[in-house]
Formats: sequence, structure tokens, C-alpha cells
Amino acid sequence: MQGAAVHALRGVSLEVGSGEYVAIAGPSGSGKSTLLQLIGGIDVPTAGEVEILGTRLDSLSDRELTRLRLTRLGFVFQRFHLLPVLTARENVELPMAEAGVPARERRVRALELLAYVGLEDRAGHRATQLSGGEMQRVAIARALANRPVLLLADEPTGELDAATGAEILSLFRRLNHDGTTLVVITHDEQLASEAGRVIHMLDGRIQDGGESPETAAPLPRRPAVPL
Amino acid sequence: MSGLGWAVKGLIRQRLRTVLAVAGIAISAAMLLDMVMLSGGIEKSFAELLLAKGYQIRLTPKGTLPFDTEATLDGVSSVVKRLRRDTAIASAGAVLGTSLYGRTGDSLVTLIGYGIQPEAQGVYQVQRGSDLTPDDTLGVLLSTPVAGLLGAGVGDTVRLVGRLDPQVAAAAVSRQLVVRGIVRWVYDYRGQPSIGTVLPVMQTLASGSPDDRASLLLVKVRDDAVAPAVAARLREEFPRLEVYSVVDLVRFFKQRLVYFRQLSYILATMSLIVTVLLITTLLTITVNERLGEIATLRAIGIARSTVMRQVLIEGTVLTVVGAALGIVLGLGTARYLDSILTSFPGLPAAFSFFVPRRENLATAAVVLLVTGSLAGLYPAWLAARAPIAATLRSEAT
Repeated sequence: MQGAAVHALRGVSLEVGSGEYVAIAGPSGSGKSTLLQLIGGIDVPTAGEVEILGTRLDSLSDRELTRLRLTRLGFVFQRFHLLPVLTARENVELPMAEAGVPARERRVRALELLAYVGLEDRAGHRATQLSGGEMQRVAIARALANRPVLLLADEPTGELDAATGAEILSLFRRLNHDGTTLVVITHDEQLASEAGRVIHMLDGRIQDGGESPETAAPLPRRPAVPL
Repeated sequence: MSGLGWAVKGLIRQRLRTVLAVAGIAISAAMLLDMVMLSGGIEKSFAELLLAKGYQIRLTPKGTLPFDTEATLDGVSSVVKRLRRDTAIASAGAVLGTSLYGRTGDSLVTLIGYGIQPEAQGVYQVQRGSDLTPDDTLGVLLSTPVAGLLGAGVGDTVRLVGRLDPQVAAAAVSRQLVVRGIVRWVYDYRGQPSIGTVLPVMQTLASGSPDDRASLLLVKVRDDAVAPAVAARLREEFPRLEVYSVVDLVRFFKQRLVYFRQLSYILATMSLIVTVLLITTLLTITVNERLGEIATLRAIGIARSTVMRQVLIEGTVLTVVGAALGIVLGLGTARYLDSILTSFPGLPAAFSFFVPRRENLATAAVVLLVTGSLAGLYPAWLAARAPIAATLRSEAT
């Protein structure tokens, strides 16, 4: 038996400028996670194209796409997805090790990033020994490890209580302020309202907010760590 | 964090499962090692046993193997003289095997008797006391079991009785001899009650007179390399005798044990299959449990090759630890099994079924490591092919 094809997204056109903080909001099943996965090159559109820094993702081989995700993009997931057997520092070092960063250099940077997200004293703790908020902050530090041009976050506060979620929001604000381009998927209106631009989606279509702003984002201040 | 450290931590995370898998691999590895030792060990042990005293050639009555029947050779003294005149031969001696009795109090105990030529003997090693001299017709050598049975030690006198056969109503021949030494008979089974005298004394005990008969002749060639050529020459020179080099005897032995070897190959293969199934099953379960984690790693840019490598390293770590334990377990099991098998009657106590050799250990270790590592290929492929987007979606729901 063959089922009918389901289109998660239809006619979506979205442009995100450097330094922007974009929130994609919408109810469950509206296609926002699919959109994020397409932007991040972990899913492939049946039609249309995705371009990051002038490179069409459909022109890349699987290996090149993997390399692009490693070096140009950063991912934060709802369920953190840290490796439980590794420490916070080792989790942050993982993408740098894959990118071939020398051991000493990646150790220093991992500690800097953990300090940036306020976890310098938790560097030696395994992921399982951290709270939800701490795990998400380690996941953010991991996402920043290879100095990505774009940070993609899928429901980053979905597993957190309100207070901890607020800490993550504050961290995102700071990241954007320090120059990181952010695309955040959420159905949390408070989180969405923090963004410079909010895109609302419904039934696989962009309802509003899809237009690129005419004015460029303000120049970032010098970040606390070289992001 | 190295790939190895990451793999070890991953295995420790599932402690009980890892311990059970390692135990299973260790048992399979032990079985593999034992079977490898068994398949090659028997013939090596047999060859070593034959060469224990350096005699490379045996001459026996036509159509028989050494001590395979009670057949004897006649006119052995002239044959021995001819052999000793051969410049390629370092020494040659005759051995007569027979049964006789030892008197202890009013009763008799059954003994195995060897008539030997002490100047050229390849069947015993002196443990206590002294060896016989070629003309010592009053001396006897005892094995430790006989010393116990007769309650005799070096310097004591023992009485031996031969030809005591009521079926043929033969007259008994008796000799009172002095114990010169306690010896270990190289080809005796465990507990065998053996004694030895110079050849003429044993011939008299066996047949009533020194009839110049022997069960076998032993020949030591000066150069090991020419032993087969000398054996071939002796075969032509003594057509009414069977002439065997050690190589010939090992070949006969191998033919008799062909089923034993086949069994060991089958069991070794089965143990390898069990190892592969264990590792593949464990790693496949682990990969399936960690699909979310693997999809995340792929999403953040970890290459397929890195994911595959990690799974293969885990398989290799399991194999290495299991194999190391398996070698210890296999050696212990081999020793225990050897003690059981060599206690069977008729088998020389010095014989060994399981011979631990460096090449056996290396063969078992290499075969196990290669198959164990390959066993991780399927789960590694599964991990590398995990669909990122679909897995992350299912993880989120």
C-alpha cells in the first residue's frame, strides 16, 4: 500500500542576514523543525534550494555537507544530546577534535566557551551530572566550538523550566549581541519575542515575518570569547 | 578525548552488558585457543616424545608399529652390530618389551619389563641412583610405581618371576636383582609398573634363555638432517624389518587422529562464529539504543567514518579484553583437560594433547582479533547510515 505524499513545507522563502536573531514560531506540525533541518543541511528538500554563504547545499556531497555543518553551523537541540559518558569539556571539544584542532588549543577554547556560558566550574563533570539548564548551556558551548556563522536551535527551552529557560534566553541575547547569527525554532512566545524578527508558520507555510529586514543588524560588540 | 577513551567509556556505561559480553568472548576465545592447541599440539607432542632421547629411527618386525603388537625380532645382536658400524649412526640399541611379575611377600604383582642395552637406550631417564652398565646382569631399574608396589628402593633386592603362564604350563624363571636406580620410562602411561634389566636378563625372564630377540631397535643418526635418508637406506639394507623415521611415525599418528583434528577445526570454527555473533549482537543493540546520539553527532558535523570508527573500536576493545581473558582461561582449561586425557590407559604420561606454543597463542589471538573487529562492521555500517533528520524527529516526539 502506498501512502499519499505529505508536504511538510510549501512555498517557503526565507533569507537570514548576518547578525540576525530570527525566531520561527508556530504550532506543532507547522513545519518549523523541518525548515530548520533544511537550513542546517541535515534534510534535503524535494524541491527548491538552500544557500548558506553563497553555497547551494544541493551542490555539496555528503562529506562536504558534513564538513559544512561542522565548521560553519552550530546546532542546539531540545534534548541537549550530549554524550553522557564524556565530561562537559570533552563534549565541547568533540566538534573541534573532528575539525582537527590541536588538543591543547581545543582544551583552552572549550574552557573559554564553558566560562562564557557560565560553567567553568563544571568542566570536569559528566553530562549526566549536570542539570537540564547546565546541559543546554554545554550544548550551546559545543555548538559554538568551531566558530559557526549560523547557530540553529530547535526548541532550546522545550525541556527546561521557566527560570532555566530564561537563563538560556539571556544567553542567546548575549550571543546575538556578540555577533552570532541565530535561528531559533520555538512555540514559546516569550522566546520568540526576544528575537529581532519573528516568523510565524502554519501548515508548512510562512504566515508573516518572512521578509528580510531592509536595515542590516547593528555591528556586534567585541564578544567575551572569540565567537 | 581519544577514540579509544571514548569507546571504553561507552562500554563502561553499559557495565553489566559489557561484562557479560566479555565473559562470552573470553569463553569462545578459550575454546578457540584450546582447539588450535589441540589441532597441532598432538602431533608436535608426539614428535617431541619420540625425540626425547634423540633417537630418530625405529626398526620393528615387518608389518608392525613400535610396541603395537607382541611380535619380536630375532638375531638382534647382529643387526645392532651392523648398525653400529654405520658411520652415519651415532648409536643403536635394542629394546625388548615383555610382561613379568614381581614378588612381594607371598604374592606376585604384574609388571612390564624392558630389556635394554644401557650404552644405547632411548626409553628412560635416571631419576635416583645409577644407571645399569652393559654387563650388569644383577642390577635392575624400577619406575616409581614399581618401587611403591614392591616397597623397594635403591640398593634393595627384588625378586622377579617370568614365564608364569598356567595356560602353557611353562616353568617359571626367577631372578633376584639389586635395584640400581629409579627411572622415568619415557613412553609409560601414568602409574605404569615398569622395570628394566640388561637385554639378556630380560630375554631370559621372557623366554627362559637369552634368545637374542627384541621388540624394537632404536637408532640415533649423527645429523638430524640426514635421518630420513638414513632411514631409506636402512629400509633397503634390512628388507625384513620395518624402518620408521620420526616423520613416518608422526604421519601414521596423524592418519589415526584425523577425526580428532577435524573435530577440533569444527569446534574452533563454532567458537569463532559465537564470538562474531556475540559482538555483532551487542554492538547492534548498542547502536540502536544510541541512534539519537549518533544522529546528533552526525548533525553537528561528525563524519560517517568517525562514527564507524568508534563502533569498530568498541568491538575491538571487547575482543582484546575478551581474548586476553580467554588466553588465561584457555591455558587453564587445557591443563585440566590434558590431565584428564593423559590419564587414559595406554597413553604415555609425557604425552600432551594441548601444547601451549607461542605460535598457537599468536594464531588464536590474530584470528580472534580480526574476526572480532570485522564483527563490528555491520553495526558500524548501521550507525553510519542512520538517517539524521528522521531520527532527530522521532527523538523529539
